[in-house]
Amino acid sequence: MAQAPAAATSGATLGFEPGAALEAQALVRRFGATQALDGLSFTVGRGQLFGLVGADGAGKTTAIRALAGLISLDSGRALVLGRDPAQGRAAVRESLGLMPQQASLYPDLSVGENLRFFARLYCLPRALFHERSSRLLEITRLGPFLDRRADALSGGMYKKLALACALLHRPEVLLLDEPTNGVDPVSRRELWALLHELVHDGMTVLLSTPYMDEAERCHRVGFIHHGRLLLAGEPRALLAGLDDETYEVEGGEREQVDERLANLAEVHAASPAGSTLRIAVARGSGGTVGAALKPLAASLRPVAPNFEDLFLARVRQEAA
Amino acid sequence: MTRPMRFLIRVGAMASKEVMHIRRDPRTLYMALAMPVVMLLIFGFGVSFDMDRIPLVVLDGDRSVASRSLVRAVSAGHEFVIAADSDEATALRMIRRGQALAGLAIPAGYQRELAAGRDGEIQLIVDGADGVVANQILSKIDGLVRAESLRRIDLAAEPPLQVKVFTLFNPEARSALFMVPGLAVYLLAIAAVLLTALTVSGEWERGSMEQLFASPVGRLEIVLGKLLPYLGLGMLQLLLVVAVGAMIFDVPIRGSATLLFLAGFLFLIGMLGQGLFISVVARNQLVATQAGALSSLLPSLLLSGMLVPIENMPRILQVLSSVVPARYFVHAMRGIMLKGSGLSILWGDLVALAIFALAIIALATARFRRRLA
Repeated sequence: MAQAPAAATSGATLGFEPGAALEAQALVRRFGATQALDGLSFTVGRGQLFGLVGADGAGKTTAIRALAGLISLDSGRALVLGRDPAQGRAAVRESLGLMPQQASLYPDLSVGENLRFFARLYCLPRALFHERSSRLLEITRLGPFLDRRADALSGGMYKKLALACALLHRPEVLLLDEPTNGVDPVSRRELWALLHELVHDGMTVLLSTPYMDEAERCHRVGFIHHGRLLLAGEPRALLAGLDDETYEVEGGEREQVDERLANLAEVHAASPAGSTLRIAVARGSGGTVGAALKPLAASLRPVAPNFEDLFLARVRQEAA
Repeated sequence: MTRPMRFLIRVGAMASKEVMHIRRDPRTLYMALAMPVVMLLIFGFGVSFDMDRIPLVVLDGDRSVASRSLVRAVSAGHEFVIAADSDEATALRMIRRGQALAGLAIPAGYQRELAAGRDGEIQLIVDGADGVVANQILSKIDGLVRAESLRRIDLAAEPPLQVKVFTLFNPEARSALFMVPGLAVYLLAIAAVLLTALTVSGEWERGSMEQLFASPVGRLEIVLGKLLPYLGLGMLQLLLVVAVGAMIFDVPIRGSATLLFLAGFLFLIGMLGQGLFISVVARNQLVATQAGALSSLLPSLLLSGMLVPIENMPRILQVLSSVVPARYFVHAMRGIMLKGSGLSILWGDLVALAIFALAIIALATARFRRRLA
């Protein structure tokens, strides 16, 4: 929308990092006995693809809702392009696109009707709507389903429609809450390709995901746990900073191996992966552990660390 | 694009989306259009205080010219039909079984007593289980017997006093004339409150409120967008109800139809606004339905003057009734339909309806929290 942004309310720009599109400043929110957000802070730079990674119940949805100005905070401050979204000024919401995790479209309206409705909420002129919606229908390959009711779409198609509805007004900042959850692998790949295209065109994207393996697709990731940020940074740098060494155990009787590993202080984590066992051990202790396993006819094979190793290591450090 | 322009586009977007929901959910249309008509027919025919053809059992112990003349006088009109002419035991049994609602006992010697110039005594046995029915039977019998005794003393020198009554507006005292305008208000109130009570709470339950709140649409835009389609539906409903009243129950519109629809317009905004307010606060369709039904049904039934005259109510209920919009609309409807009252008499009702409408819309918008939690 070619509308001049409303004059920033006094104080709203205080402490605002230039170049940041989104800022969570020590967000705290409690729901009854649940501490959903416990001092969550992170910054997303303009034009970045930021992944908020965490398990179910870690506080991802609450964080995204706080950034969209949809919940009140016990303390802390959320900023979108330097403005407080909770103030509810139309200018903030014009620049924001949100794709909630839960179903949020109108099930009795068709694909086309849902798109048209959201376009009208953003006052898109008719010609612009037609141009953008046909482009979005093309990328999402929803074109043939224009007249299908939203409640008759598959999980993946529904998500793509929700994304298209959130993109119609070309937001500067896009918030996606678990966009790939419940989506088949092909649609998932398409979704990621689309997100990269959007970011390439200058959009800032923040998405949440419970899948650790999706972290590496982001420019920056933040691991969230119990409403707090465990660590954040560029994915490769984070992996490089992992203190543990990771191995796969080959051979041996599983029960005996498990028992032996459980008695070794150097072993930080062990998780079965199919027929093999994946372990994380303290840096430099690979030899010791390998020697301990030798009598059991088991050996270690070094493997590249992944984000799950990283996440588990950080959770362990946090608990210690 | 100017601000008012954007406002109108968004209200229009909300309203046309609502129209799509209505068109795809026949239950809404049924609730809005068919239910009030069906209810009006049921209530109009069912809730009638006019009683005729009341079954009466006669116990004629005299079997004389005078006793037969009395029975004829009682059964000549359409008020009573003789269910049986029998003895006391049968009469009591019939009343107990509901085959007769009253028994008229004429003792032996009735004609002799009259001829001797003494009081002719007759006995009336009434089924008193339903007070309204018993009262009607008493007054009807009383009138008929009085007429019969006047006829008998016709020869007396001095004629007795007679009151000639002229009843204005509803000379036949038909219940329908009195009931239909009140019923129409009652039914409109329930349907209107329930229609909107479900719509905002529906957005909460569907999850679409999250998407709406993330967009630039304002609270007033949502409220107005939700209100307008149902206002159209409500006006259609009013038209239907008035038409059914006129065609089936012969209820006239003696005053201005424009005034009637203007009052209806203001009343509907108030009732739809009440539904929206409930919906905004409740966030849940089940609670909204309960609260909507209670808050519309009870006041419009009991505090509107539809059944019980407001003047007869205890002081506290009279005060309470002054914030019930149905009260003003019942008064306006009866005034316009039966008395042909104009604006000079009904302006107060219109002002009251307008104040309620504005206040409830303002309240609904103010209580509409743009927060999920």
